[in-house]
Amino acid sequence: MNQKMKNVLVGTIVALILVGMSAFVVDQRQTAIVFQLGEVVRVETTPGLKFKVPLVQNVRYFDSRILTFDAAEPERFITAEKKNVLVDSFVKWRIFDVKQYYISVGGDEARAQTRLMQTVNSAMREEFGKLTIHDVVSGKRDALMKVVQEKTDGDARKIGVEVLDVRLKRVDFPVEISDSVYRRMEAERKRVANELRATGNAESEKIRADADRQRQVILAQAYRDAQKIKGEGDARASALYAGAFGRNSEFYAFYRSLDAYKQTFKNKSDVMVLDPSSSFFKYLKSSNKGGGK
Amino acid sequence: MGLNDPQWGNKNSGGPPDLEEVMRNINKKIQSMFGGSGGGSSNQSGGTAGGGLGGAGLIVVIVALIWIGSGFYIVDASQRGVVLRFGKQVEVTEAGPRWHLPYPIETVEVVNLSQVRTVEVGYRENVKNKMLKESLMLTDDENIIDIQFAVQYFLKDPGEYLFNNRSPDENVRQSAETAIREVVGRSKMDFVLYEGREQVAAATTKLMQDILDKYKSGIVVSKVTMQNAQPPEQVQAAFDDAVKAGQDRERQKNEGQAYANDVVPKAKGAAARLMQEADGYKQSVIANAEGDASRFKQILVEYEKAPSVTRERMYIDMMQQILTSSSKVLIDQKTGNGSLLYLPLDKLIQSTNPTPLSESVPVTQAAKVAEQGLAPISEFAQPRTTGLGRDREAR
Repeated sequence: MNQKMKNVLVGTIVALILVGMSAFVVDQRQTAIVFQLGEVVRVETTPGLKFKVPLVQNVRYFDSRILTFDAAEPERFITAEKKNVLVDSFVKWRIFDVKQYYISVGGDEARAQTRLMQTVNSAMREEFGKLTIHDVVSGKRDALMKVVQEKTDGDARKIGVEVLDVRLKRVDFPVEISDSVYRRMEAERKRVANELRATGNAESEKIRADADRQRQVILAQAYRDAQKIKGEGDARASALYAGAFGRNSEFYAFYRSLDAYKQTFKNKSDVMVLDPSSSFFKYLKSSNKGGGK
Repeated sequence: MGLNDPQWGNKNSGGPPDLEEVMRNINKKIQSMFGGSGGGSSNQSGGTAGGGLGGAGLIVVIVALIWIGSGFYIVDASQRGVVLRFGKQVEVTEAGPRWHLPYPIETVEVVNLSQVRTVEVGYRENVKNKMLKESLMLTDDENIIDIQFAVQYFLKDPGEYLFNNRSPDENVRQSAETAIREVVGRSKMDFVLYEGREQVAAATTKLMQDILDKYKSGIVVSKVTMQNAQPPEQVQAAFDDAVKAGQDRERQKNEGQAYANDVVPKAKGAAARLMQEADGYKQSVIANAEGDASRFKQILVEYEKAPSVTRERMYIDMMQQILTSSSKVLIDQKTGNGSLLYLPLDKLIQSTNPTPLSESVPVTQAAKVAEQGLAPISEFAQPRTTGLGRDREAR
């Protein structure tokens, strides 16, 4: 009985050890290759508990997630118009065929990335050469990334890698060109500023001129109307005078002359040299009727 | 081996407090086991050499309990637990105390789901702390601008977040950089700098989301906030000047308007004055005419009644008025004996001019000048005649 118990115990332990040696776990993030004495016998692409033959088989794990290759330094490319641009890009890739991947690059990520970088760069160089800077920056950026991705993907599949995406980050001018871009921007702003100031001046002048014109017109119209009114007054007055004075024009002449004489001689500075023989002085000489004449 | 020593069990009875319930069970089991070995009734081993096997069983039980206990974990309200069975995702657990099959069968990864995470692009921590490499970019019109922005995001699927990308958070930065450059590259500089900031942010959010969805990253971009969009420092001054020029333009326009607002109403005022004056003139002229006419008519009526008398009277009135107010020299030409009468008219005028209304005027030797009134005139009724060949009446 006791012996039996011991046997069971030993058996269990041995079984556990065997299970421990043959079972292995493939994580959600991984894929695995099962080797048998260096030869690939199986690829485990799904996660979970897996088994292998102990001792003769061993397992290597690979990352099944999307990996990023992001070059540290921007690469220099030449566009169709022979301009230099600095381009920063990143590549999203994933191990697609683990077996192929292992065979081609020995499962070494760094080697795979070097390979990818070369492919991406040559594809980019080719594409940039066909496009202008404007195309790269704006119009055909999307198309360019798509083309490079497809080209790279085609090549990468040979090493068991799938290129999901190639994206441009920075597309910049080298420092020398940047400086001239700044100068151009500055000149452009200066132009805008001058234009704004000049139009401001012009608009101001326009408003002032318009005001002056309005003033002139208003004053002239007022003068016209004023003269009209004055004329009306004069006409009215003339009519009145004519109506009144026309009744006895001879008397009017006399009356008016008397008035005019009064107006003419009213200052001390008007000196009259008179002859006492004039009819006005007839009584000055004598009190006779009929005067001294 | 001292494993069946009662002291061993007692020592363990003061184990971790969080396993109190478990320990109580264990204690009960220990007691029943010892009771079993003493009293001969055992429900556990039932073996004849129960002491040794019972001790081993106890260890197994304790280890098993601790092992099972290691499957407990707590998920916070903001978190989700992702349970992996032999590395394979089997469930996502909600908030609360949870239990999974203990290691190595199941493991759990707790992810903070609802917490808003932030990535800063173009700067770090402070907008002033610029990362020019990230912030400078080309626009559609080949200008360079400087943009700082922050991206806020959260996770929607913890499984995707954990398992699909090696560096999921780095993905956000990368997609942000590429997306903003693509959006800015499609836009004109003025649009990005001034009116189009919101649109740029919105387009960037959308593009980033597309990229992140393509990578199945389990991330939702909630917001792209533009911290700053400006021309690079090298050309800042020129841009500021252009903005100033815009202000100058407005100022000049306003000045012009101010001038207009001054001049036109003034002209209108002057016009109104002219009109009023004209009207006044008209009224006064007419009134004068009416007055004059009326006066004349009245006089005429009387004149026609006695023409000669009135005529004489009017004449004499007039003469009186004239002679009263003016200087005069009376010369009798009949007494003239041919001698020359010297009459310094210029002096007369001169002497009266400065003080036209003065009472006394110096009398020249040659001619006496009567100032006013009829009385003085009588003095000159017979003036000294120094002889003037002609009869003269000077005005």
